[in-house]
Amino acid sequence: MKALTANRLDDGEVVFWNKGAWVERFADAELFADDATGEAAEGQGKSQPNTVIDVYLIDLIESEGLWAPLSFRERIRALGPLNHPTHGKQAEGGAAIEALRHAAGASRSTGRVNLIKRK
Amino acid sequence: MYQYDTIDKEFLADRAAEFKQQVERRLAGEITEDQFKMLRLRNGLYLQLHAYMLRVAIPYGSLNATQLRKLADIGRRYDKGYGHFTTRTNLQFHWIKLREAPAILEELATVDLHAIQTSGNCIRNVTSDPYAGATAEEIDDPRVWSEAIRQWSMLHPEFSHLPRKFKFAVTAAPKDRTAARVHDIGLVVRRARDGTMGFEVIVGGGMGRTPYVGPTIKEFLPANRLFSYLDATLRVYNRHGRRDNAYKARIKILVAALGAEEFRRQVEEEWEKVGPGADMPDTEIARIRAAFSVKAFDTLVNRSEAFETAKAADPAFARFARNNLKPHKRPGYTIVEISLKGIGDTPGDATSDQMDAVADLGERYGQNDIRITHEQNLVLPHVKLDDAHAVFQGLAAAGLATPNINLISDIIACPGLDYCALANARAIPIAQDIAHRFADQDRAELVGELKIKISGCINACGHHHVGHIGILGVDKKGEEFYQLTLGGSGAEDAEVGKMLGPALPADRVTDAIDTIVEVYLRERADGERFLDTFRRTGVAPFKEAVYAEAH
Amino acid sequence: MPKLIRIEDGQFVSADDPFTHVADDEGMPPGDVIISLTRFSAEGDALISQGRAVGVRIEPDEEVEALAYDLPKLAVVAVAFPKYRDGRGFSTSHLLRQRFGFKGEVRAVGEVLREEANFLTRCGCDSFETADGSSPEQWAHAANRHRHVYQRASDGRIPAFTERAES
Ligand code: HEM
Ligand code: SF4
Repeated sequence: MKALTANRLDDGEVVFWNKGAWVERFADAELFADDATGEAAEGQGKSQPNTVIDVYLIDLIESEGLWAPLSFRERIRALGPLNHPTHGKQAEGGAAIEALRHAAGASRSTGRVNLIKRK
Repeated sequence: MYQYDTIDKEFLADRAAEFKQQVERRLAGEITEDQFKMLRLRNGLYLQLHAYMLRVAIPYGSLNATQLRKLADIGRRYDKGYGHFTTRTNLQFHWIKLREAPAILEELATVDLHAIQTSGNCIRNVTSDPYAGATAEEIDDPRVWSEAIRQWSMLHPEFSHLPRKFKFAVTAAPKDRTAARVHDIGLVVRRARDGTMGFEVIVGGGMGRTPYVGPTIKEFLPANRLFSYLDATLRVYNRHGRRDNAYKARIKILVAALGAEEFRRQVEEEWEKVGPGADMPDTEIARIRAAFSVKAFDTLVNRSEAFETAKAADPAFARFARNNLKPHKRPGYTIVEISLKGIGDTPGDATSDQMDAVADLGERYGQNDIRITHEQNLVLPHVKLDDAHAVFQGLAAAGLATPNINLISDIIACPGLDYCALANARAIPIAQDIAHRFADQDRAELVGELKIKISGCINACGHHHVGHIGILGVDKKGEEFYQLTLGGSGAEDAEVGKMLGPALPADRVTDAIDTIVEVYLRERADGERFLDTFRRTGVAPFKEAVYAEAH
Repeated sequence: MPKLIRIEDGQFVSADDPFTHVADDEGMPPGDVIISLTRFSAEGDALISQGRAVGVRIEPDEEVEALAYDLPKLAVVAVAFPKYRDGRGFSTSHLLRQRFGFKGEVRAVGEVLREEANFLTRCGCDSFETADGSSPEQWAHAANRHRHVYQRASDGRIPAFTERAES
């Protein structure tokens, strides 16, 4: 399973793709079961260079029955800095945030799909 | 302190106006991200994990209260009420919006602050001695030269597109508080027998992937020839430094590849050709010097009764005085170090309220002079001993009176994976965990001077190579691991630390530190710091103890 | 005729460019030409003796010192910036003006962007083959954005320390 992420140009906010729109919560992200739909979305996302920057697909794993980014780096992006639990997306709390907090998996680069491909 | 004149102020205003237009063009889609990225980086604006990060330069780590209040105000209005002081004596705001960045730079310019050349392959903010002008050790005020270098380097026509970033440190005291030997250029003020002033010029130190302690390229450079010599050095680097591989592009790689001897020869040859025409006029140096020398010290006696009484009555203050107060050159004065390493806090972070508190104390008791150290702490360099207790109380009320300067919980840590897009692992929780373990101040004092430095990746922003104990975050099969090095130093006895052994998982790091400390306490001879013991015993006893327990 | 941006009497203007860049493996066209350092070593004198204006293109890894004796014969030195980031050309232009006293045209070629206008003009470039389609007005704006400069440089602007000493 994959999701598409980026940072919003205007304010740098971490955003996720959902059917043509960019949303702020990972829980609202569109999930791609197959590579083709993910890559199609990535193409669309990259065609909006004045809305978002640094568009890429990330790998997901299951955590507490929900999906979470595989890499720790991407989970931190979906949560906020862990030294300040009230900063960033994690402040909202709830099951989706807890699932991200408890997920385990790769720490950094392996979450970024196109980096794996490049190897 | 140096006061910006109309020229300096208009320069910053012009720069802010320029950036404003560039941001407008980007937001209107007139320029691409590729084109814009270098423009924003030239103004210290990075994209981090969660938002943009703005790195504000604090030239040679020196601020007045108005400036610090402005930083606090910006933290409150444009960030989440805090900022992060870095090992390069800059301040980073971690939650900046691109559309607001121009307004922030405009506001900074009103108090003579900026973010120019805090990123990119140019000459960066100069590090200097946080005790400058206050310590009896120094033979000159290094801020004079730092300010001159600031001016010379601002939008330098020839040296703003170097192969890689370029960092200066300037110190004038035998005790090096700037890490001069691990900078691209370290300048140490020296006085010749006949009294003339000059510099020992150290070139090609650095950290990152390939750490080097820089060799001395010139034992004594007459002070009035500084800028022609810098021209020559930078020109040799600009022309011959590698540009094919970013990891091999720092001047340290050029110096190492040529050998210090050959590098010196090339610089000297170029310097001959440059000639004194490229030096800064003595009159300008004198003007800058004059700005730093006006300080109104009262004539006081060495011993302050108020201070002695307070120490006797307040054990917490006595402990603070023992660890955080440093000798001042004037009788009856002291240097106050303010730790940004509260137990369990994020190293280097200060809330806006804390910044305001320090600004108030600095204004009221510290001649309106506030410094940042490369160890991510603050300093009030000129406090009367009579006022030290009041300062302590003010700091305590702001949660800033942690009495741990140079102790094991005074840890340097970079932002690591909690913020940084380049990180392999987190640095902050490791620092917090170690600090908690050594929260017992008696034990920390028993251990004495021990500098732990943590980086979240090999770029070494947290100076781990030169930590007495260095901790480097690595990504091992997708998990956070930490590589320990021992015996490094960034001071006058600079040395790159030695690897202890295989990297450890996060939950074993603090235990390992504890074990290392126990070995040190067992092995140390009278009066030895951790570093001294390590240098005597070598890595073996530490390695044995840490890895013996692993099984 | 192709256009470039040139500084004339302190103004940025759009000007005709009479020079043709000729690569090492190309035939020699008539008229004014800019050629590589290698080609200049072999054919330079012959070309000049034909009465045409000759310019030499200096790549970042070439030492401008190699041209020192020929400079008085040259109409143009084209300083190459294959990437705007590659700053060796700034040293090349600086040396041309300051060390060798070259009075001819110093032309920036390659990835020449208006955002670099200030650095380029300060190092002594006085004509620009731009890579970003920018206009002379935009160049003038970018080059003059700062009312003050801190260094002596080839553009002759008064550095801050002189401004102060004179005020
Ligand atoms: C956006 C965040 C940051 C990025 C992208 C970044 C990037 C880098 C890189 C790539 C290097 C290696 C340079 C080289 O070896 O050529 C480096 C070194 C360094 N950075 Fe950072 N850094 C960041 C944050 C920081 C922070 C927060 C500090 C201070 C705490 C800092 C201070 C330093 C220092 C002292 C060095 C090592 C000295 C040197 O070799 O230059 N940086 N940084
Ligand atoms: S050391 Fe690495 S993780 Fe830490 S701030 Fe520097 S680049 Fe980021």
